[in-house]
Amino acid sequence: MAAPRTQNPIIRWIDYRLPIFSYLEHELHEYPTPRNLSYWWNFGSLAGFMLVTMIVTGIFLAMHYTPNVFLAFDSVERIRRDVPYGWLIQYIHMNGASFFFIVTYIHIFRGLYYGSYKNPRELLWMLGVVILLLMMATAFMGYVLPWGQMSFWGATVITNLFSAIPKIGNAIVTWLWGGYAVGNPTLNRFYSLHYLLPFVIVAVVMLHVIALHRHGSNNPLGIDRKGPQDSIPFHPYYTIKDMFGLGVFLIVYASFIFFMPLSLGDPQNAIPANPLQTPPEIVPEWYFLPFYAILRSVPDIWFIPSKLAGVICLFGSIGLLFVLPWLDTSPVRSARFRPIYKWFFVLLVVDVVALGICGAHRPEGTYIVIGRLATLYYFFHFVILLPLLGKLERPRPLPASIGAAVLKGGAVSAE
Amino acid sequence: MRKIFLAAGVAGLISLGIASSAPAADETVVLPEQAWSFDGVFGTFDRASAQRGFQVYHDVCAKCHSMDLLSYRNLEELGLSADQVKAIAAADQVMDRDDRGMPVIDDSGKVVMRPARPSDRFAPPDKTVTSALLPAIPPDLSLMVHAREDGENYVFDLLAKGYVTPPEGWDPAANYNLYFPGHRIAMPPPLAEGAVTYADGTVATLDQEARDIVNFLEWAADPNLEERHRTGLKVILFLIVLTLVLYAAKRRIWSDLHKGEH
Amino acid sequence: MAETAQAKPMGAHGGEGSRRDFLVLTASALGAVGVAAIAWPLIDAMNPAADTLAAGAPVDVDISKLAEGQQVVVLWRSRPIFIMHRSADELKELETGKNAALLRDPDSGSLQQPDYAKNWHRSIKPEILVLVGICTHLGCIPSFVPQPGNAPVENWPGGYFCPCHGSKYDLSGRVYAGVPAPLNLPVPPYVFVSDTVIRVGENPKGSDFDLSSVEQL
Repeated sequence: MAAPRTQNPIIRWIDYRLPIFSYLEHELHEYPTPRNLSYWWNFGSLAGFMLVTMIVTGIFLAMHYTPNVFLAFDSVERIRRDVPYGWLIQYIHMNGASFFFIVTYIHIFRGLYYGSYKNPRELLWMLGVVILLLMMATAFMGYVLPWGQMSFWGATVITNLFSAIPKIGNAIVTWLWGGYAVGNPTLNRFYSLHYLLPFVIVAVVMLHVIALHRHGSNNPLGIDRKGPQDSIPFHPYYTIKDMFGLGVFLIVYASFIFFMPLSLGDPQNAIPANPLQTPPEIVPEWYFLPFYAILRSVPDIWFIPSKLAGVICLFGSIGLLFVLPWLDTSPVRSARFRPIYKWFFVLLVVDVVALGICGAHRPEGTYIVIGRLATLYYFFHFVILLPLLGKLERPRPLPASIGAAVLKGGAVSAE
Repeated sequence: MRKIFLAAGVAGLISLGIASSAPAADETVVLPEQAWSFDGVFGTFDRASAQRGFQVYHDVCAKCHSMDLLSYRNLEELGLSADQVKAIAAADQVMDRDDRGMPVIDDSGKVVMRPARPSDRFAPPDKTVTSALLPAIPPDLSLMVHAREDGENYVFDLLAKGYVTPPEGWDPAANYNLYFPGHRIAMPPPLAEGAVTYADGTVATLDQEARDIVNFLEWAADPNLEERHRTGLKVILFLIVLTLVLYAAKRRIWSDLHKGEH
Repeated sequence: MAETAQAKPMGAHGGEGSRRDFLVLTASALGAVGVAAIAWPLIDAMNPAADTLAAGAPVDVDISKLAEGQQVVVLWRSRPIFIMHRSADELKELETGKNAALLRDPDSGSLQQPDYAKNWHRSIKPEILVLVGICTHLGCIPSFVPQPGNAPVENWPGGYFCPCHGSKYDLSGRVYAGVPAPLNLPVPPYVFVSDTVIRVGENPKGSDFDLSSVEQL
């Protein structure tokens, strides 16, 4: 790696001993990025920004929060009422969870559309699925901490899932709880793990970025960079574009924090946890709704009771994502050149939204039917459709190179 | 272009999902909406009404309902003076606590009570009153308007419009409220015309009392509303300016690239 | 963000380059304002919260049952406050000032007390002494040893003795020379609301003494 271009003697002194400056210069100035990345490529950096935001606000909240069943709810209210700017830090953190998932889900669907999970980025994709799982665990435990009705009952329902495992299920649940039911031991350990996991996420994100930089970003055309005319340095082009995207994102995020901070939450969580009173509806936060719907949709299958089948499908729906690079047999990456896959992608998005709506309602009447159809389609899409479609679909002809497509002013645009 | 429509369609579906993910209180009863001073982006508290609402809480509701999350000193934010707050606090008795927060017990084993100070939380209702209400447990009111869907309208409608004549066949011993889920409410109508005599002389109709208590409860649940709105406006205006500058910078920096295209 | 753009040297093309400079500069300045605006609430959140400040309100102490030679300890703002009733004999000893040569700061020159306690009895009324009971060495709570004798040390004239490192104070809370503690025990703001009730944490009319203004607690 070349020495940094600067003449500054202090920077050169440091860099000779700890090459952070030449490393940064390589990653930002020299690192070749496709010139045609669209705004759909902003969401990775937005996710990174949200990770930092959640950690910083979380650390300051932890200075005032008490993880004890008698004190937790009050300590959160104390943060909102008595701690200077406590309300701001708490609302940033609470809405931040939702916005972290929004940008991450968009980031994932971008990957699905443009084939970013395909060779040679399989490991990059799998690391991303690991990050998603860690995020889901962190968010689940974080929601328990305020110890409201939904915190307690959501924890009860989800930890009870593990009792579906034959023979050892009940022992596992007791072990998770640290008692005979969700209680103080559970709250304490969830707090400890909720503080820990984000730093594990940071480590996996670093691996994720290292894997990314090995071959560089995918692009909307899905074709490899072939030469310097296909690339531009990350800095200043994508640094400024990421900043602009961040500005737009912050406007939306701020609207929620300042003007509708509780709108994404459930009113039941404004009631302190009561182990003797179940709320009329137990609903997880919106970002878990599609998975919740899958969990509840599955009936008894053959000799497998519906509870266990539901748990298997729940974990299977995410586990599938790990093997996606091998399920999709298409030699073409980007859906831009896959006319049939494109429509099934849209169908998948509609399907996931439909699952989410089902997850928000009681599993009665039409919602059961839609939930089951949507669950079926989800698994069909990944397990049957993708392997077949890759072989049967006739893709549109790919452009010769990124530079050629962009410079010739063809049907594709750089933004 | 097509992608933008696609994105908009998906966003529409998602917001539909979020909107409908709120479980409906009762599918058949429509909650009449009121206009509240704290609604909307520029919402503020009607402090005069909230002060009257505090009087309603103090004279009527506090007999059965606690408000554990409020301290007497918070009342200064409503516009009461420090002396008024001291007097209101001193009129209530609270448990005396030692430096570790444990209740002080006298030699005969009874808990020692003392007059409240402004720094104390609101005194809870008399235990002899609340234990006589069992098995009904009057909920704490600090967060009531947040703990119900469309809480401010729900509380107003329940109090001011809900206690109607029950339908045929309704158990005469049970209270009927149109807006309470399941209609069988343990609380008899708490408010009536003239139930309180307002210190500022406002006529105490049922509607007025209900409106005032809701304004008080909204402040109690969300005392930072006005500061939040003020700060939010400044933050979003700042962000809009910053984003526009960043957009201009982005266009500038990318302009030399685009020159080579089309 | 580095100012050196790869694709186009700064200012090399006159108007365009410097226009980009200006935009990036403006964006950076606004960004810095934004970072400061979010940093301040985080820092401020570590300041005492409203309920902590409220709990620091003045404390009323009834001294009607406090006998001569006795001391009572109350907590104010989480600190132990000594309220001691000095006997006539003890006051006579103090007034003679015969131990003044042994003290580090007999005239209370260092700012460790409000103006109304800057005297030989370091209090409003001579019989009642009010002190912050935290040793000015490293923060232990000194023991109250009013009896003259040979304990805890030889020729002990009576006063306060800190068990941690042996610092000694007289019956006005003034520190002896040659001990680890550097300053006299501080006197908090207080006022007599009546002959038998002291309010710790509030000054008499006309004084605005703040305990945080002392040299060292």
